[in-house]
Amino acid sequence: MSVEKTGLKAAAAIGTLAVALAACGGGGSNGGSDEGTPQKGGTLKIAGSSVPDHIDPASAYSTVNQGFSRNWALTLFTNKASNNFNETIPNYPDAAAELPTKENGGISADGKTYTIKLRDGLKWNTNPARPVTAADFVRGLKRTCNPASPAGAPYYTDLIEGMDDFCKGYGKVDAKSAKAMGDYQEGHDVSGYTAKDDKTLVVKLKQPAGDFLNIIGMSFASAAPKEYDNYIPDSPEFRQHTVSDGPYQMTSYSDKKFVLERNPNWDAASDKLRKAYVDRIEIDLGQDSPDQVEQQLEQGTADLAWDQPVPTSAIPRLAQAKDKRFRLQDNPGVNPYIVFNTLSPNNKGALGKKAVRQAIEYAIDKVAIAKNYGGVNVAQPVRSAVAPGNVGYDANYNPYPTNNDSGDPAKCKQMLSAAGYPNGLTLKFPYRTNSNHPRNAQSIQANLQACGITVQMSPDTNGNFYGTTLVTPADAKAGKWDIAAPGWGPDWYGNNGRSGLQPLFDGRMYGPNSPDYGGYNNDQVNKLIDQANQAQTQAEAQTAWAQVNKLVMDDAAIVPLITQKFSTYQSARVRDTLFLPAFQTYDYSLVWLAKK
Amino acid sequence: MSLTELAADAVPADAEPSGRKIQGRSPFRLAMSRLMHDKMAVASIVVLVLIILFAIGAPLLASWTGHPYGAQYPDIARDSWGLPKGPSKQFWLGADPLGRDVLVRAAYGARISLFVGIAATVLATLIGVVIGVLAGYIGGAVDAILARFMDVVLSFPYLLVAIVIATTFRPHSTWLSLLLTITVIAIFSFAAMARIVRGQVISLKEKEFIEAARSLGAGRMRIMFVDILPNLVAPVTVLSSLLVPTSIVFEATLSFLGVGIQPPMPSWGSMLNDADYRSSLWLLFVPGGLLLLTTLAFNLLGDGIRDAFDPRSERLITRK
Repeated sequence: MSVEKTGLKAAAAIGTLAVALAACGGGGSNGGSDEGTPQKGGTLKIAGSSVPDHIDPASAYSTVNQGFSRNWALTLFTNKASNNFNETIPNYPDAAAELPTKENGGISADGKTYTIKLRDGLKWNTNPARPVTAADFVRGLKRTCNPASPAGAPYYTDLIEGMDDFCKGYGKVDAKSAKAMGDYQEGHDVSGYTAKDDKTLVVKLKQPAGDFLNIIGMSFASAAPKEYDNYIPDSPEFRQHTVSDGPYQMTSYSDKKFVLERNPNWDAASDKLRKAYVDRIEIDLGQDSPDQVEQQLEQGTADLAWDQPVPTSAIPRLAQAKDKRFRLQDNPGVNPYIVFNTLSPNNKGALGKKAVRQAIEYAIDKVAIAKNYGGVNVAQPVRSAVAPGNVGYDANYNPYPTNNDSGDPAKCKQMLSAAGYPNGLTLKFPYRTNSNHPRNAQSIQANLQACGITVQMSPDTNGNFYGTTLVTPADAKAGKWDIAAPGWGPDWYGNNGRSGLQPLFDGRMYGPNSPDYGGYNNDQVNKLIDQANQAQTQAEAQTAWAQVNKLVMDDAAIVPLITQKFSTYQSARVRDTLFLPAFQTYDYSLVWLAKK
Repeated sequence: MSLTELAADAVPADAEPSGRKIQGRSPFRLAMSRLMHDKMAVASIVVLVLIILFAIGAPLLASWTGHPYGAQYPDIARDSWGLPKGPSKQFWLGADPLGRDVLVRAAYGARISLFVGIAATVLATLIGVVIGVLAGYIGGAVDAILARFMDVVLSFPYLLVAIVIATTFRPHSTWLSLLLTITVIAIFSFAAMARIVRGQVISLKEKEFIEAARSLGAGRMRIMFVDILPNLVAPVTVLSSLLVPTSIVFEATLSFLGVGIQPPMPSWGSMLNDADYRSSLWLLFVPGGLLLLTTLAFNLLGDGIRDAFDPRSERLITRK
């Protein structure tokens, strides 16, 4: 669950796709292999802005970091990089030998027990080389609730038997003592996540979960070698001593630059997903301006951008020039959307009333918002709480239609009047001052004004917006804000309601730091969420989440605005840049460099 | 000296027997006459009058064009990439990135610039004169404290502190942001004024007419504000006329950095901030040109006023 990460594809489409994929054996033409024979060698140069908040896979939760750790910390399952979004949705075994199914005995009949076999050829970059074991994966999962730098995701404690108790106990351990944490980990078991032998993991869930492979495939749950017990998780010492089981290993780490070089123990033949053409990957940080990074890519002093999209102002120029090095990658999610503070006492509690929120659904010109991002080629209006490509999406569902998605202020005004507010409302609207948000805020303000709503805008930093303004229930109840325009992206694509709809609309989770910012709560929705999470098949999941989406939109809990594409640019010499939408990054392990 | 007095002065009090009239001309009239002979100053006045008319006429422009300053026309004023369209029949000076009329916004921006420039100057002048007179006249510990206070204010890296103040008290409405901007500018402008006034007062208070007033039993307040203050009109007028353009630029700087006037109220500074110069040059030239013209006019006028009041002083720009 993350702020402004990204989204997932229609479940109905997934089944079809899997068949299509099996038929063509992966990488279709749209998946985009470049011309020429891949060559080994060279240094891939990446230009980035900020130092990642975390390096340790146990706590790294930003998109680009999770994508990065795929190169040196393998997970049991993962997705394939591709420039065809649909190809990036299915799960593939990575450290696992195969996908567990009921047919192959990997999943028990009740859907609650998973037996996962590790594949051959997995080795740590230790000297001498040591095989990666099931116990290493158990250690990896245990580390997610270390008290020093825990994972921010709730999935493991929610789902895996015994994880909750294990984590509660772990929380009491001295977070400043690596030894105390190591001892706790080695001395306590998670009843639902155990190593049966060196190559077999047995997982017991509290209830069935159709999305479990995605959850256990997140980088949080990557294997951890026993060496990690010597360091405080994610500490500076840890960052200097990472251990790799992927094609690359981190040979140098500083706040300004990190370097990956080949892992001599990596077995290319057994890794079906990676090629590792380049010898070395250098990530240069501290380049804060997207314009500066773009310039480097155009000049060829860097090959790819680490964490920044193409500057919005450069998009029309590159697109109109039909520059082949410029791409718009699918990255579907509802981002941004308008959230209502349903708890606000302002305007006699107007936003707590469904009819008022429904009126506002009609007010916004979503095409104008899309234009703030470079027009409909870059961003498209979204009509419900689920963006295309995410489970529960229904292309025909448009509960609040307006002409060309451009808004209907007259209808808003009339409905607002009918709801008992003929003189309009006055709404407090904190907005972020970074990126395109000031423009979005002014568009929204003008639209609402046309509906008779006075909007009081107050500027806010991105950090404060997500860290304090929206996530402090006392402030919400005191009416310190009425509407806001945050963004949200699920952690994975595919069956991702648990990561997309649930965090935003499960009212039982409301509290400090809840992403259900406006305190929306509907018992019927909560009940449906529980059912949807347990859906066993994609079709069931699709139906269940589509129902959640419908209820939420009937309640007008949010005004969905747009879904954005992720814009990328690359140097002239990079080839086979294949995208990982969930991580908003290219797969460095597939890229090769053309010689001049 | 008021205008009515000037009018009275213009009427010859008495006719000389020879038939030639000799008019007694006050220093103010002499200064005004010198100012009116200064071509640059007159040109500046003309420019400023035009800009003031532009600002006053903002609502008229909005109704003529049919484009209120906050109204957005994303469908007709932005292309499919979301880029603003340039000058056209409907949008004479082009559109801004949100599809708003640049002409209308520039006119409303003129209101903000002039209002902030003048209001901040008036506020700074008031504070500056009061503190300067108190420090200069009372002297002693009061002077020491006030003078050091002025030094402290003058030694601040004003832009940094202004940004800190503006971001700390994030205003929740555009009007509050206007008020805050004016206050911030005044805080950083009064000290220069106060310092000069203090110097003037220190020399004035030793003059005979003050001693005369004191010997007649005038109190401190009366001497400060009735006897001394009128003698400060010339330097204060000159200083404030130069403070106006400084304040306008200060406001534009704060708004450009996003900590001044808050959207959707337009200000030349925030209009410049919004501009993507590479694709839309008019977004640079309209507010930038107006800002340049206005500050240049105020500066030249201020220069002219100084020349007129004190013909021996040096000019900002030498003219033949």
